Amino acid sequence: MSSLPDPIRDGLARGWKVFGGPHGALPPALACDVAIVGSGAGAGITADLLSAAGLAVVLVEEGPLRSSRDFNQLESEAYPSLYQECASRKTADKAIGILQGRCVGGSTTVNWTSSFRTPAATLAYWREHFGLATFVDDALAPWFAQAEQRLAIEPWGQPANANNDKLRIGCARLGIGVAAIPRNVRGCWDLGSCGLGCPTNAKQSMLLTTIPAALERGAQLVVQTRAELLEIADGKVVAVHCAPVTTNGQRAAGPALRLAARHVVVAAGAINSPALLMRSRAPDPYRLLGRRTFLHPVVLSSAVFDDAIAGWQGAPQSLYTDHFLHTAPIDGPIGFKLEVPPLHPVIVSSTLPGFGLEQTATMKGFARTQALIALLRDGFHAESPGGQVTLRDDGSPLLDYPLTPFVLEGARRALHHMAEIQFAAGARSVLPVHERARPCRQWDEARAMIAALPMQPQLLRVVSAHVMGGCGMAASAERGVARPDGRHWQLERLSVHDGSLFPTSLGVNPQLSIYGIVARMASELARELTGRDVRLA
Amino acid sequence: MRRRTWLRIGIGGAALLALGGGTLALVRPGWSAGRLTPAGRELFAAVARGVLAGTLSDRAAQPMPHARMLAAHLERLQTTIAALPAPTQQDIAELAAVLLHPLGRRLFAGLATDWRDASPAELQATLQRLRISSLTLRQQAFHALRDLTNGAFFAGPGTWEAIGYPGPRPI
Repeated sequence: MSSLPDPIRDGLARGWKVFGGPHGALPPALACDVAIVGSGAGAGITADLLSAAGLAVVLVEEGPLRSSRDFNQLESEAYPSLYQECASRKTADKAIGILQGRCVGGSTTVNWTSSFRTPAATLAYWREHFGLATFVDDALAPWFAQAEQRLAIEPWGQPANANNDKLRIGCARLGIGVAAIPRNVRGCWDLGSCGLGCPTNAKQSMLLTTIPAALERGAQLVVQTRAELLEIADGKVVAVHCAPVTTNGQRAAGPALRLAARHVVVAAGAINSPALLMRSRAPDPYRLLGRRTFLHPVVLSSAVFDDAIAGWQGAPQSLYTDHFLHTAPIDGPIGFKLEVPPLHPVIVSSTLPGFGLEQTATMKGFARTQALIALLRDGFHAESPGGQVTLRDDGSPLLDYPLTPFVLEGARRALHHMAEIQFAAGARSVLPVHERARPCRQWDEARAMIAALPMQPQLLRVVSAHVMGGCGMAASAERGVARPDGRHWQLERLSVHDGSLFPTSLGVNPQLSIYGIVARMASELARELTGRDVRLA
Repeated sequence: MRRRTWLRIGIGGAALLALGGGTLALVRPGWSAGRLTPAGRELFAAVARGVLAGTLSDRAAQPMPHARMLAAHLERLQTTIAALPAPTQQDIAELAAVLLHPLGRRLFAGLATDWRDASPAELQATLQRLRISSLTLRQQAFHALRDLTNGAFFAGPGTWEAIGYPGPRPI
């Protein structure tokens, strides 16, 4: 347990209004100016700006409130308490494993701090294909800049850990440019436990920044409580019906809560936001809701080096290359961004292929194992239409994301280039993460093997830490669930302020895109509701 | 994975369905009311012996004797499954029910003997058969068994010394 100060516990002791779970029973009814569903990237920014404008805000979060004193850097604790479905959320055919947060701060509490502005090419595509005329680099730049200032976002200036450094070395040998990743950290201890909750409060997540700011201004936070339904009357959203839930998402004992509001902001994240609107039977005349959900599907290449890598240690992501996003047009063959993932025992042993003696050998090499990940930029081609969210019988969401041949072809290219980079960096052996692959000691051997691997779901390991879309925004109701300002096309008094707004994937880690884009939307909403101008920084 | 999908297994599915859909679970449930049953513990102990072959029995590397290591693993597995959402627990319950039924074990997993009595070679062959099968359901079953087993096992601090992981850095 961290013995450092815990600003969340201090705030609770000072009288922050937090209910639900261990913080006290839910009242049967609450009323506010703006109800916000969720407490992640979009919710935090919205709560901060709206409360600064003087509005009474209530946030509803289905996960628990955990903070630095709870963050023991243990996977056994972090996955069940901070992640959706114990970090085991999967697509319908179980081919893709999804990491999303489920706690106060949402995915920002467990992400790896990488912060990139929305790329110009992505914005250009949005303007052209979705009519999003106000999504211009110059217009969004001040909003990104505010978020960067507020959240201490800067390119990582310290030496990369060995895991990341191999990316740099291999790329340098091949003439591929690599750059430092901007991170939302202040006073980082370079521990490497970002994905398990930051125990030193260096990571400037929503948990540490915008939500405390809102709570200081009198905002209320309801935790371990799920927004089940939006109450709709005459085409207007008037309230959110919420119920207490256990840590694994079952209905808990205790009364339900009817949260009345003048305006509702849905910011429960991709997958969950569309699901809430579906449960509420929100009008969906063009059958868009839940569709075009994107994942930046990730494929992996693991390598063993002679020297110690210790991939659990040091800033998890500090270097990247976008080289393979620029080798073809954005709407051509699928491009991918290369990064490095942190390596901890549970996530490595449940991700790398093999079992029995093969696996014993792999895990014995754990301390000298290095990994690369390729994030495929989905959503920019007809053969990359993304997935669709549906509801199970119990109302919980399920994402059906078929891996198309177009995406799988990109996966093959990604495995090829990652292996080449790892050999160029001096790897003793490379293992593409695929059930039919075996460790290769030479680049020629790996190249031939990768060319012949059957690129199929289940055989190819695919994971995702970036879920986007499902309530896509567009300039017309025929093409979007939400307007360019985040408001719902059909229902009044309803906005969506999270990554489910994105009409395509981004091509970069999403948090800063959400911060900047939502900051603009939330400040417009604040001006409309109060006449006041507010800024993040 | 929809309800009852495990019961609609292509090959031999008719034979399984003839036993009656819902009653399959009642014959020998492996996961019930939020706990591993004794039969479930036998099943997952056998799966662990297969998935963790070389690791569980590596006396030089593991500080604890095999039997205690296995018992500790099953406790962690119990905790891991119990933390999962209800639909996922249901999937695991159905998979376990199929694998524990003699016909399911034979037709789906290709294992003739009881899980408890399966030899190391038989366990390896069974897992490999699921892994390389062209039937998606079998591949899904392989991943479920393997990933659950590994996730629970390597969560235990007693397993870290053998892989050179020092654990969290003290703050």
